[in-house]
Amino acid sequence: MDLMEYKAREYFEAFGIPGPKGFVVGDLAELEGKVIDYPCMVKAQAPVGGRGKAGGIRPAGDAAELRAACRAILGMDIKGRKVKKALITAQVRPAREWYLAIALDRAAKTPLVIFSPAGGMEIEEAARTQPGTIVKLNLDPVFGLRSYAATYLLSKAGIDPKYAPQFRDLLGRLHRLFHEGDCLLAEINPLAVAGDGTLQALDAKVTVDDSALYRHPELLAFRDEVEDNPLVAEGRKAGVLFIPCDPAGTVTVISNGSGMIMSSIDVLAKNGLAVGAALDLGGGATAGRVGETVRIALSDPGAKAVFINIFGGITRCDEVAAGVGDFMDRHGTGKPVVVRFEGTNKEKGVEILNSLNRDNVVFVDGLYEGVEALAKGRGAP
Amino acid sequence: MSILVDENTRLIVQGITGREGAFHTEQMLAYHTRVAAGVTPGKGGRRVHGVPVFNTVREAAEATGANASIAFVPARFTAESVYEAMDADLPLVLAVAEHVPVMDMMGVHHAARKRNCRVIGPNSFGVISPGKAKAGFMAHRIFAPGRVGIMSRSATNCYETVYLLTREGIGQSTCVGNGGDAIPGSAFVDILPLFAADPGTEIIVIIGEIGGGEEELAAAYIKERVEKPVIALVAGRNSPRGRSMGHAGAIIGADGGGSAERKEEALREAGVHIAESAADIVKIAKRLGA
Repeated sequence: MDLMEYKAREYFEAFGIPGPKGFVVGDLAELEGKVIDYPCMVKAQAPVGGRGKAGGIRPAGDAAELRAACRAILGMDIKGRKVKKALITAQVRPAREWYLAIALDRAAKTPLVIFSPAGGMEIEEAARTQPGTIVKLNLDPVFGLRSYAATYLLSKAGIDPKYAPQFRDLLGRLHRLFHEGDCLLAEINPLAVAGDGTLQALDAKVTVDDSALYRHPELLAFRDEVEDNPLVAEGRKAGVLFIPCDPAGTVTVISNGSGMIMSSIDVLAKNGLAVGAALDLGGGATAGRVGETVRIALSDPGAKAVFINIFGGITRCDEVAAGVGDFMDRHGTGKPVVVRFEGTNKEKGVEILNSLNRDNVVFVDGLYEGVEALAKGRGAP
Repeated sequence: MSILVDENTRLIVQGITGREGAFHTEQMLAYHTRVAAGVTPGKGGRRVHGVPVFNTVREAAEATGANASIAFVPARFTAESVYEAMDADLPLVLAVAEHVPVMDMMGVHHAARKRNCRVIGPNSFGVISPGKAKAGFMAHRIFAPGRVGIMSRSATNCYETVYLLTREGIGQSTCVGNGGDAIPGSAFVDILPLFAADPGTEIIVIIGEIGGGEEELAAAYIKERVEKPVIALVAGRNSPRGRSMGHAGAIIGADGGGSAERKEEALREAGVHIAESAADIVKIAKRLGA
């Protein structure tokens, strides 16, 4: 999960990473009574990148400009996401800008420290245009962060050793944040450098490992706040993962595992059918959970047909069929529901589906037969 | 022949008194796996399906001479369980739980290498050598003994493939669940040398998916070191970018990193046969004489 800047700054503050003072507002009324040092910066808080280009970062020299900037930013649309909060911080004009981050290196399976004296721009951009200015260091998790890491990074980047004490302290704090915060990324860009060696984080970017959220319960509320697709939240309540896919897709896939979902999408796509969303039942789903999943799938206005594709190991095919029947009894739908399953209790499941006597509920014996059914009559027999 | 798990495996089940641990101990015993001991702290002295329970892995290993362990414990206790098994010098440790934090697994991965321990999982169905033994929770009825070695990041895609292979009379030497997480204990490239050296494996099947670079690493290894025919399926070609597809590790980066196209290209370049679906794997295997 990507934290928005204001949330990432809370992390930075908790670990003692210095940065300009600031606060966040949701509307203009919240500016009342705040002590503000001008000039300041107003920064849109959105769960997507590209806010600078979208006009989401504006300076303000006085109270009138601040109100105007907040008015422009709050409620603005960045890549389809509405800006609900604006961050107001003191303006800092650094002598120089560096880049410092710790990221997960999946290939090496270690944290990777990335440092560059050419900060400010996107690191990908810097890597392309000034490849010599980026220094990287993998940290063996068994060794952790040792003091020589900071020495190495500065030396390799050709930085004056006078910065070493500050830099070493900052890297230590960022590493503790990365580790204790269960981060996949903790990035400071730009890292402002004053002439006297004082370092300040002017932006904060933090990605937290979703699997570790149980260790950070304060982020669970934030996650729900950021999620603007109500079906994701509904799925979460039902113990089902709702994955939005192609916004133009018309088929919704329900399956009992991540691999099977991806394979289903691939086979459908190969035959010209775009998937709008996918739902992962997980293992061992009961009829109740299957019925609820079909309900959530069909409550997506983009869903014109549902394709249920199950390999029954722990999950039983008769439970899946019963769940479909349960949904039809309770809610019903005229949209095609194409069901393909294989494995445990398949015959019993087929019997249940046939006994439903619904024209729009079709059992298909195989993945390709399912694709055919969906492609031809959009599921109708 | 087979790899990792066979009739000589003497397995410890960590978390044996839990619901999943007890149920799958029974299933593994039914498949003639030698489950030597179970471990649950504070419950030593009991028996579960006839298997003696110990308080710690070290005591269980000392008393029974066990040589492998599988952790049927929730994600938040998985790293601790794997460390305990590694610290008892077991050479093979499996973990099944989904959603183990990345930070936990980074430590486990590197500690395992320093202790010469092989860790399989987490987020894995385990390992099965059909007709010999299984360490895991896979529905074993669909497997049959044979000469195709399979390793997979996905349980469901592996099951589907195995089901279709078995239906066509094509058996398997060993099936390894590498797991769907970003940091697996063992990646494809760690298991490849075992399949390559196993005289009982004639064809190797890799069931990969989007995210990370394990398929590319496997391709580089195959190109240099593997003579046996390899078939690969990479799921997720049409998945949206920047979104984890259920498996924590199955995510294409915003820059297109970890895409199916790049993986297939690397594998194809290494002489691997690319399959588009489970059914396609069977077709290719048949063509290769399986």
